[in-house]
Amino acid sequence: MTFARLQQGGPPRQAIVILGLVLFTCWSAGPVIWLILSSVLEQKALIAQPPDLSPQNFTLDNFSTVIGAAASLGRGIINSLIVAVFSTALALALGAPAAYALARLPVPRADNISFLILATQMLPGIAIAIPLFILISRLGLIDNVLSLGIVYLSFNLPIVIWILRGFFLGIPAGIEKAAAIDGAGIFATFWHIILPISLPPLSAAAVFAFVEAWNEFFFALILTRQQAQTTPLVIANFAGQYQTVFGQMMAAAVISVAPVILLAILFRNQIIRGFADGMMKG
Amino acid sequence: MTTTVEQRRRRTGVFFVAPALLVLAAILFYPIVDSILLALQRVQLAGGAVTQEWIGLGNFIRLFSDPVFWRAALNTAYFSGMEVVLVTLISLGVALLLNHPLGRSGFFRILLIVPWAIAPVANAVLWKWILNANYGILNGLLKSIGVIDYYQVWLGTPFSALNFLLIVDVWKSVPFVALLMLAGLQRVPQSLYRAAYMDGAGPWQSFLNVTLPTMRGVIAVAIVLQTIWSLRVFDLVFVLTRGGPADATALLNFLAYRVTFNFLDLGYGSAIANVIFALTFVLAALYVWLLWPRDVRGAR
Amino acid sequence: MVHNFNRRHFLGTGALAGAMATMPGLFDRGARAQSAALNVFSPLPPDPAPPGAAKFSEDAFAKWQADNGATVSYETLAWPQLHDRMATAFASGAAPWDITYNCGWVPEFESFLTPYADNLPKALVDDLPPTSFATTTVGGKRYGAVFTLSLLTLFYNKELMEQAGFKEAPKTWDELKACAKEMTRDGRFGFVLNYGDPAGIGGTASYWMVFLQQAGGKVYGEDGLPAFKSDEGVAALQMMVDLMPSTDPGSISYAGINDATNVLLAGRAGMMMNWPFMWNAGNDPKQSQIVGKMTSAVLPAGPKGSASIDGTDAWTITKASKNQEKAQKLIEFYLDAEVQKRQVLDTGWLPIRLSVLADPEVQAKAPNAAVVLEQAKHPYDSFVTADYNQVTVAIGTEVQKALQGSKTAAQAIADAQDAVTAIVKRRG
Repeated sequence: MTFARLQQGGPPRQAIVILGLVLFTCWSAGPVIWLILSSVLEQKALIAQPPDLSPQNFTLDNFSTVIGAAASLGRGIINSLIVAVFSTALALALGAPAAYALARLPVPRADNISFLILATQMLPGIAIAIPLFILISRLGLIDNVLSLGIVYLSFNLPIVIWILRGFFLGIPAGIEKAAAIDGAGIFATFWHIILPISLPPLSAAAVFAFVEAWNEFFFALILTRQQAQTTPLVIANFAGQYQTVFGQMMAAAVISVAPVILLAILFRNQIIRGFADGMMKG
Repeated sequence: MTTTVEQRRRRTGVFFVAPALLVLAAILFYPIVDSILLALQRVQLAGGAVTQEWIGLGNFIRLFSDPVFWRAALNTAYFSGMEVVLVTLISLGVALLLNHPLGRSGFFRILLIVPWAIAPVANAVLWKWILNANYGILNGLLKSIGVIDYYQVWLGTPFSALNFLLIVDVWKSVPFVALLMLAGLQRVPQSLYRAAYMDGAGPWQSFLNVTLPTMRGVIAVAIVLQTIWSLRVFDLVFVLTRGGPADATALLNFLAYRVTFNFLDLGYGSAIANVIFALTFVLAALYVWLLWPRDVRGAR
Repeated sequence: MVHNFNRRHFLGTGALAGAMATMPGLFDRGARAQSAALNVFSPLPPDPAPPGAAKFSEDAFAKWQADNGATVSYETLAWPQLHDRMATAFASGAAPWDITYNCGWVPEFESFLTPYADNLPKALVDDLPPTSFATTTVGGKRYGAVFTLSLLTLFYNKELMEQAGFKEAPKTWDELKACAKEMTRDGRFGFVLNYGDPAGIGGTASYWMVFLQQAGGKVYGEDGLPAFKSDEGVAALQMMVDLMPSTDPGSISYAGINDATNVLLAGRAGMMMNWPFMWNAGNDPKQSQIVGKMTSAVLPAGPKGSASIDGTDAWTITKASKNQEKAQKLIEFYLDAEVQKRQVLDTGWLPIRLSVLADPEVQAKAPNAAVVLEQAKHPYDSFVTADYNQVTVAIGTEVQKALQGSKTAAQAIADAQDAVTAIVKRRG
């Protein structure tokens, strides 16, 4: 018997694992399945007790109402896209060199700087909300998707640096030495050697930053008015004071989370490998 | 003076790091300083503008005698503590499941990614719908299989509301931490397991003596991150319960928001926010100091 | 049902108006035809919203913009988020609006608003209920004009009530309790309300204030300090506690009124207190399963008679606005008789003008208007002060504890009074 087969365990252990996997599947997928189901059911089916799942109640009306009636959902998605892409690109452009420097170059007090950068994550958004709003409005940048993207750097940049630094710490020193022997300067080494092998953690960091920017609610609430509304704000708007058509609310939610979920599924391998390498060291 | 290689490397390093640091300082520095200053003032909206007067530590003294603050602090301590424990344990379990040959399929990894990717607001709205007292699917399911006799108001009592808030956030948080742990598990060298087997260790013993110690760094990271994030929960409370019923789910973060935006008591709100900040900082530093494997630091 | 708000439509109209405004000789009103840009902050429909944001009187609105050389743009937001947006904007000194919607926050934001309502034309003011300015008056000056008559009244399911053996709506507290008790059977409840959110108008504390006034009590004394720790205060809370066995247990978790409304419209509760808008919702077959069975009545009387609270949906003008006069003219347009009539006929929000309320066409479309007018003969103080949010959270939280049985009514009232005293003293 191979060791791997031994590790797999006999029938009892396998049964436990299968049970665990089934439970896990229900627990993870259940709510999401209900999200999708609710979005395609009529209101009267949803408010029956228990919910009426007979086939004739299925409809795409919720989606058509939500898409047709709310120009704001379309604009919300476009805004979210711009903010997320812009913020991610900036975070990578600023964060990758910084992470490399903190990991591989003799920057003075690099450990302290790294911890300081992580410490910014501990700041509750509430604490800086009003001063930030004052600052941004004095600069005339309220309701601007680009300024929102820059504000998002406040949490994206530290995470990108954290992930990438962890990965860079794990690169064997030999690679840089070999590049140096070939006469490459530091920047050339970084650009031509280090970055290409960092694609998994880079994509992981990029997806992470993108998702965080897409899903952010609080600062979007404060710093936007009409033009720059992002998707989470539109979703929150659907729970108005007097009417809640649950199916439409779920349909809007489905539309808003679909792009991000697709992205995450497409890049799942990079994300997982990126975390594997990135988060382990430091 | 000729610059040594070392000096050149240091200069380049600083040059690489500077832009990021400058950006962070620009976005965060002024607001953080201003928020600390605000916490030392009494701020009121009057006369068409905001009036500010210095009261030193007055806001903080008020904090200490405010029962609402202590209730929120208690709620937060319970919530955060339970969440870290639950998330760590469940994530470890999930990671072990997915590390087993039966669980290697990409399907399970997709299942991990999906809850993580859903926006917190959308998640809150979804769960509010699931837990709905009249039409929620949880009620529907439990009643049809006979576990309950009549529909429950899951968010109706303080105890129940706080614990369901916990469950919802655990549901959302487990995926990311599980991924982390999975990555950590996959880095444990097989040779260690073989050696343990040779020494006659059973599966439970090899788990305790091989897996856990090697995973110590990962678990530490998971705990630190979860602690920080659990103290920042806001979207969920905002949508699901708004702090109710009777302040049972008013966590510190939500309290700071309520005081700042609903009562416009900017000074007091800033004081609470800064207390949260200090608390998070201290807790994280503590964990790092306690749990960080010493040999990983300084690996250059 | 999200309103199809098409900005292009009135932006185009606005542009046209602007273009027309630049053509000389087109206006013979004597005033200079300068194009002013007005910015209005309003709730999203179906919450109360003005023409252009909500679908009514759009032609009249376009004409008004053309006549007055103004382009009006709307910034709309879901109702629950309005207060926070205004708070941040005012606090940072960067509120860009000329006109804002206000709901019980006038004393709070008083220093940022203009007391323009003192200058409204007499003819208009005479046509408004005198008490409608109560919640928008601070220090003797009027800062806002309420634009829809919105008082809490009793809404009930006629069929369920008759099944319980009652021919008419309950008229006293005892009748209310008995009626609710009879209606509670077969998985249905006699009463439902949203006790989930303690704060603001339409929150738990404000509902208690309804019963408080019905018992003859008031929240503040002459000195501005709380004066509700009295027999009346406790009796009011006790009434709510006594109703709890007949109240839908989900009520404590309903944070918004629509949650409670849904229960009534599904036929699973018999009675509730609600705003006039419910009339439309109750008769809409897409939402309601009790179409044609819903009626409204004046709230049952306590020891001192009936009473209610004012929803106080009002328009206010910001001090920072550069177009004070134009803004006032716009508000006068919103309060114009014809516009008010279309407001109720097209959107269901009652008018505030007495003449429009008496219009037979209006009364036919909105039978509950007569009930609201009747309710308006009784007290309807919302006790709005600058600390309204803070006070209602303090009181509301105590009320919730009493409703859940973790405190006696007397204890809850005592604790609430202590908390409110601290708040008032802190403001100085």
